[in-house]
Amino acid sequence: MGAVEVIQRLFDVIIIGAGIVGAALARELSAYAMRVAVLDKAAEIPSGASRANSAMIHAGYDDKPRTQKARFCPSGNRRFHELQGSLDFTLRECGSYVCAFEEDEIRHLDVLLDQGRRNGVPGMEIISGDTLRDREPHASREIRAALWAPSGAIVNNFEAVVAFMDNAQQNGVELFLETQATGLLCSEEKQEVFGVETTKGRFLAPVVINAAGVHAGEISRMAGEESVRIRPTRGEYFITDKTVGHLVKGFFFACPSTKGKGITVASTAEHNLLIGPTSTPQTDLEDTSTTMKGLEEVLDGARKLVPDIPPGAAITSFAGVRANTLSGDFNIAVLRKPRGFVNVAGIKSPGFTSAPAIALHVVEMLREELSDRVIMTPNPRFVPERTHIPRFAELSMEEREALVRRDPRFAQIVCRCETVTEAQVVEAIRRGARTVAAVKIWTRAGAGRCQGGFCGPRVADILARELGIPLEEVTRHGGHSRLLVGRTKEYWFRGNE
Amino acid sequence: MTERETRKFICVSCPVGCMLTVHMEEGRIVKVEGNACMRGEAYAEAEVRNPTRVFASTVKVSGGLLPVVPVRSRSAVPKEKLFDIAREVARVVVEAPVKIGQVVLVDVCGTGVDIVASRSLEAEEKRAG
Amino acid sequence: MMTDIRIDVAVIGAGPAGVAAGIGAREAGAEHVVVFERDWDLGGILQQCIHPGFGLHTFKEELTGPEYMHRWIERAHGAGVTFRTNTMVFRMEEDGSFWTMNPDEGIQHVHAGAVVLGMGCRERPLGAIRVPGSRPAGIYTAGTAQRFVNMEGYMPGNRVVVLGSGDIGLIMARRMMWEGASVEGVFEIMSWPGGLRRNIAQCLDDYDIPFHLDHTVTQVHGKDRLEGVTVAKVDANKKPILGTERFVACDTLLLAVGLIPENELSRMAGVQIHPVTGGPVVNQCLQTTRENVFAAGNVVIVYDLVDWVSAEGYKAGKNAALFALDGLPKATRRFDVRGGENVRLFSPQWLSDQEDATIFLRVTKPIEQRCRVTADHGLFSKTLRYARPGEMNEVHIKAEQLRMLPPDVREIIVDVEEE
Repeated sequence: MGAVEVIQRLFDVIIIGAGIVGAALARELSAYAMRVAVLDKAAEIPSGASRANSAMIHAGYDDKPRTQKARFCPSGNRRFHELQGSLDFTLRECGSYVCAFEEDEIRHLDVLLDQGRRNGVPGMEIISGDTLRDREPHASREIRAALWAPSGAIVNNFEAVVAFMDNAQQNGVELFLETQATGLLCSEEKQEVFGVETTKGRFLAPVVINAAGVHAGEISRMAGEESVRIRPTRGEYFITDKTVGHLVKGFFFACPSTKGKGITVASTAEHNLLIGPTSTPQTDLEDTSTTMKGLEEVLDGARKLVPDIPPGAAITSFAGVRANTLSGDFNIAVLRKPRGFVNVAGIKSPGFTSAPAIALHVVEMLREELSDRVIMTPNPRFVPERTHIPRFAELSMEEREALVRRDPRFAQIVCRCETVTEAQVVEAIRRGARTVAAVKIWTRAGAGRCQGGFCGPRVADILARELGIPLEEVTRHGGHSRLLVGRTKEYWFRGNE
Repeated sequence: MTERETRKFICVSCPVGCMLTVHMEEGRIVKVEGNACMRGEAYAEAEVRNPTRVFASTVKVSGGLLPVVPVRSRSAVPKEKLFDIAREVARVVVEAPVKIGQVVLVDVCGTGVDIVASRSLEAEEKRAG
Repeated sequence: MMTDIRIDVAVIGAGPAGVAAGIGAREAGAEHVVVFERDWDLGGILQQCIHPGFGLHTFKEELTGPEYMHRWIERAHGAGVTFRTNTMVFRMEEDGSFWTMNPDEGIQHVHAGAVVLGMGCRERPLGAIRVPGSRPAGIYTAGTAQRFVNMEGYMPGNRVVVLGSGDIGLIMARRMMWEGASVEGVFEIMSWPGGLRRNIAQCLDDYDIPFHLDHTVTQVHGKDRLEGVTVAKVDANKKPILGTERFVACDTLLLAVGLIPENELSRMAGVQIHPVTGGPVVNQCLQTTRENVFAAGNVVIVYDLVDWVSAEGYKAGKNAALFALDGLPKATRRFDVRGGENVRLFSPQWLSDQEDATIFLRVTKPIEQRCRVTADHGLFSKTLRYARPGEMNEVHIKAEQLRMLPPDVREIIVDVEEE
């Protein structure tokens, strides 16, 4: 009685945060024979800015040459294209347009073109408004010129994060969800780091990597390093019904302003329109609520680019908090003190794009600067490929038939909007999905126009059955987000006589 | 002096939902206005004397395709007893298979009205998938 | 191997429209009539509508949803309709053939002489009405909550706010009360109720549940589980009025903000969809713009009474059978129906001169006094005691009236006006 069991686990490297940075890094480290733990406080990944963003794989013309962003964005873009096949996430080559309405914006396109060329972005050109409308008939008549960058692409950001992490886990990396870092374990005077204190016990390792997104500032401060100042900035988005997904093919940007890249319009990898974001500085790191004003701003901005977007086509809205920094650039560094602590912080736009290139860079940093703390020998069992759960909706009739013959649960459609089957949901759970939100991330069940109205109860049933828990314990996204509060009739037995 | 009173009800007898104006004297209905059919008068009478409603809920089932089966009061019951009935019904567990119309609770709360199953439900093993 | 199936009439969906369509097709002489249902159970959404209020027109008594469907399903069995349950139609081709999936039989390609679409409707989700705020657990469409409570025996929450006053929302407010939950209020953005007036009386007034017209939810609060909503009064343009906001604590928000026809398959079949109803454009035979594809019930236009859904389903099934057997009489003249004064939506959208027609319509704004529903050219006129958006009105026109119209008449306008 009363003895608190302290769980201690021993690793070679701990990564705090399982966003795209943490996941990509975990996957690259899984090529080495070492024990890697990834900690995330959420109940499913991705949960932070990697979950709620523009899903854009940027070409890389936005960033000033010689910045870290300019270095990692174009190479991250190439890396996404390289890994798309072997990691089996959905990437749609759509190209991007920066649209200019005014004279000074047209001049700014030249600046971007020059910047992009110096950053090594391939195939860019400036086209006239009419050429744009030949390719994109729904583009506004007011657009006078556009910068075309063919390497711009749109990714299923859910799938990408999950793909990196899934592959990492197949190669031995361990992922700990609902595990929040509460402190760093350091030697006296913070000379060296030797682990992380969490809500689920102690994790020990000679190397700790801070990839905590908007929380990177807090984690860095635990190490005594104050230079990481996150300026949380909320961005609100809309997703529309698929019936208007055909309005654009490419990724549309307005000419950038000081506030960021402005409102964008794109057809997602699954042919919904994604429009947004706003850019609202806030103090709260977690507040992802949307506002009436923000959503109006998004719609106005989007209709400026593509006037045919019907105001009523939205099926859902969401917001993400971006980890902006004061310097505006990424903050990637091996700290001198405490030794063994690495910051991969301030990874805001084009952070998602840059992440796979940053991951390779961090691996090199470990090899060169922390060889005294971690030995990098190849993992003999490393398999660089993984496959996603079959995307039933995209398969041919013959492929579907083959799946149904193999497993009749492929014949049970759970989500009718996105044609997701029971077999896919079961496989998502087998690979680690524990919440309704996680099943949506893995399979798109609930991502369609009815937003889980139909499949929500069915997904919850399958979760309860597969996990062997009562239905009341199934959560939407972990924590206290239970879907149901109990059984019917119970009230009449609770002394309400 | 004659005691006069006017009361207004929305008739719930059918989907039309007539707005009834009920003129009363000495506690007796003398005139009903606003009703489109005869049911309105009967409804007004009941609403003044003893308002009644049909009760509909579920009861637990053991071994059924579903964990609960819908039930209803065979006819309308006094409105003031609805929550007492809800409490009584909460205690009922029926065994599958259940047949539509099957009585699950006789003379609920002394109303003289039975609670009956409003659908048939097979036993568990027959559900596919 | 994938098999091809050939039948006379195929019906998609075994809800009230589909079951009646099956009967209609059999009684009109079609031999092999199959109703495809994705659930293990027949009856569609009515199986979870366990309250009485269905079938007064058809059976002269008020039944619960399951009782109403029980009678129709018995009748369908008697008529020789074949049902295929656990069978999802997941793809439709423009020739009207479609693909089904079933755990036992795998994937099958169904070719029918005629098809009746009877997939019903779905509820509008929160995203569609753009309520800002966070997205915690505890936000459900009223129908989803109804399924949890009535079919699975679970409580979605203990302290409920209902947004919108569609009938399912009103019914669920009462249902949650009977299970011991509290209902903090029903908030309707319009100046009139969305549902039937009797449901305001018997579901809200009976239990002193506050009902607020001209109000909406302006913000959702809570990170994990819903903690409350901000509600506000709205102005004439339906914009929240500054200063009228207040916080209402609740753990559950039920949405009853409208139903939209379920038309994924209709679109695949290439039938023309009407921008206002959201359902296929049909004529009075319930024939879509693809002549071998028929549609009936809430997949066409959202009805307020299930009796009409069944009646229209029967008619669609009958016409589908006639089409598959010998073809329907060709229209020698066609008339477009148009909504005039105070008509928000209506169906059918065009009439052939070969059949008697019933046009169902809904008004835009309520008229709480004597008014008149008319079809021009003197085709129809009827006095109404009132007209409300929540309740449909009908216009009846005989085929011979249509045939006698002057040759230059190509459209028929329906109006609802004060007398």
